Amino acid sequence: MNVMSAPPRSDAPIRRPGRSRSRAELVIDAVLLLAVLAAIVLALTTHRFATVANAKAILTSASLVGIAALGLTLITIGGSAVSLAISPSVAAVGMIFLSAQSFGLVPALALAVLCGILITGVQGAIVGYAAANPVVLTIAASFAITGIATGVSGGSTVSPTGGGYDRLNATPGGVALSVYVLIGLALIVQWTLRRTGFGRSLYLIGENRRAARAAGLPVGRTTAVAWLAAGALFAVTAAFTAAFNTSANVNLGGTLTFDAIAAVLAGGTPIAGGRGSALRTLAGAVLIAAASDILLLRGSSTGVQILVKGVIVLVVVVLVHLRTEGSRA
Amino acid sequence: MIHSDLIRRLPASMKLAAALAVVLLVTAACGGGSSSGGGDTAGAAGLEGKTVNFVGYGKDNPWGAYFNGVFVPKLESQGVKVVDLTTMDPGTAVTNFNQAISNKPDLIVAALLDTSSTVVPIKKAKQAGIPVLVFDGRPDPSVDADVMQVLSDSEALGTAAAQNLVEGLKAQGRNSGNLIAITGTKSGFAAQDRMKGFDAELAKTPEYKVVDIQDGNWDPTLSGKIATQLFAKYGCSGIQGAYGMADYQALPIVAAAKQAGCPVGGKTGLVVTGSNCFKVGIDAIKAGTLYGTATEDPGTIAEQTADYVIRYFNQQNPPAKELVKEERVTAENVAQFAEQCSKA
Repeated sequence: MNVMSAPPRSDAPIRRPGRSRSRAELVIDAVLLLAVLAAIVLALTTHRFATVANAKAILTSASLVGIAALGLTLITIGGSAVSLAISPSVAAVGMIFLSAQSFGLVPALALAVLCGILITGVQGAIVGYAAANPVVLTIAASFAITGIATGVSGGSTVSPTGGGYDRLNATPGGVALSVYVLIGLALIVQWTLRRTGFGRSLYLIGENRRAARAAGLPVGRTTAVAWLAAGALFAVTAAFTAAFNTSANVNLGGTLTFDAIAAVLAGGTPIAGGRGSALRTLAGAVLIAAASDILLLRGSSTGVQILVKGVIVLVVVVLVHLRTEGSRA
Repeated sequence: MIHSDLIRRLPASMKLAAALAVVLLVTAACGGGSSSGGGDTAGAAGLEGKTVNFVGYGKDNPWGAYFNGVFVPKLESQGVKVVDLTTMDPGTAVTNFNQAISNKPDLIVAALLDTSSTVVPIKKAKQAGIPVLVFDGRPDPSVDADVMQVLSDSEALGTAAAQNLVEGLKAQGRNSGNLIAITGTKSGFAAQDRMKGFDAELAKTPEYKVVDIQDGNWDPTLSGKIATQLFAKYGCSGIQGAYGMADYQALPIVAAAKQAGCPVGGKTGLVVTGSNCFKVGIDAIKAGTLYGTATEDPGTIAEQTADYVIRYFNQQNPPAKELVKEERVTAENVAQFAEQCSKA
């Protein structure tokens, strides 16, 4: 059988024909349904939640994290777990983007994407070809990137050298440009994962790297390409973030690494790889943004918002795990 | 016999580690009681040959990078040896502080990333007879009397922010208005002291009301997200003024307001003020999107801290606590502060 012609794995658990749902699965689904209903009731009873302005705010909040999370989705599906170097990569690329504004918006954007591809692609090549542990490697990479960015910039904040960046803050149709870009990129990534040989290979490698290698799949190249694409997406996040903040320094990425991981996991993509989708990650990013929004509208502190984000991720991870185990039983 | 057998069976790496631990313990025990390198006074007058252990902010922080670039060369030019123990990690800062104590310098100059975790090191330094100078943010009240201090005047910075907002709103002809504040880390003294000054100043004009205070954690991206949600919550007509505790927090508020379709600045738009002036803040004041800011620039406090150290070593008995004079900056005087505020 030609492995490349194997159908992609579904997001849903594998179900044997005619097999009835186990009691555990039914309980999990019931819990999930109740949680969703509770969230809907909570949202609808929150003053000003169900307004157009608030919907725009949620999408805008989700957009920057969401674009980076799309990149991380590629890494996670391919079985490389996570990258812990997203924040420093975004910071470094954001600084490059603003300092290149004197060349104009498009060249600065192209340079940023190129640098993003380079920074993350090198890590991907090491993970793909040398089978390096991605967590350990990206911890080391984050220190290296921060060190180099600090050394080159002298630790100072980079201000834009031109005004072109402000076009990224545009709001066509009253919605932030970053929201359109997020939706467009999510569709492209989803199509790539589902409809191309690269996407199918990535799922298979994520599911079982050893079997994929035995089947003759280009494990190293596919993993490296996934990281290259992730680097490009991190660079897009960097450009939008730097444009929004009007300045950039080594702290630009903030908590983006963990926010992106949270979005991917909240979307139900398992950390072990081999499953998941871009649209799930999009849903995860919007879910977390909506939860933070509800809490803010209800007057909860930032600390409570962070706590709830953690609880959402934990619950989804446990449910995904239980459902997977249940479907295998 | 049992012990010698046991030792023989240990792997070489374990033996090496045990020997190293014994050496370190003996060294620590022998050195612990001595305090010959430091003292409550500056010792002999003059700076030549004096050693300062500098547990300041790391270079990866723009404010810290500029501070260090002014402070260290100024002391070194006077013959002081400065040992760099800077970091932006609170845990590492405590380790570095302890390292500084064991180095027995003539003075430890420290920025307190975490006031609670530095209480014990400050007490240890006092016991060892090593003087400590804290700069920028104040220490925990329990050790306030144990250190010398050159502090940013956080309350004055909060007062300046309130004055900027009230002045800006009055200039628009608004006799009342709703304000939001996005702060630095709320649990830190800097944010608490600034809000103290901010609230006290606003209490003079109760017609301008703070409707929401959120913790932006000194994070520009988080501040922008919070602002986006607040503009959705209150609408453009529900917020007339906004305080971002640093310029890099105020500018994302401006961007969020624009994306929400709210006018900024001018005769009817949102009035936004920052603090901790940065170049981008100065540019925004010139462009009319930021009404004002306040200083707390790293260059001024670095100069004053270095000057304090020089006076201390020259036995000029500087006061135990000095506040850095902070200035309010608006379009009226922006040219005067443009250079000073463009360093970080």
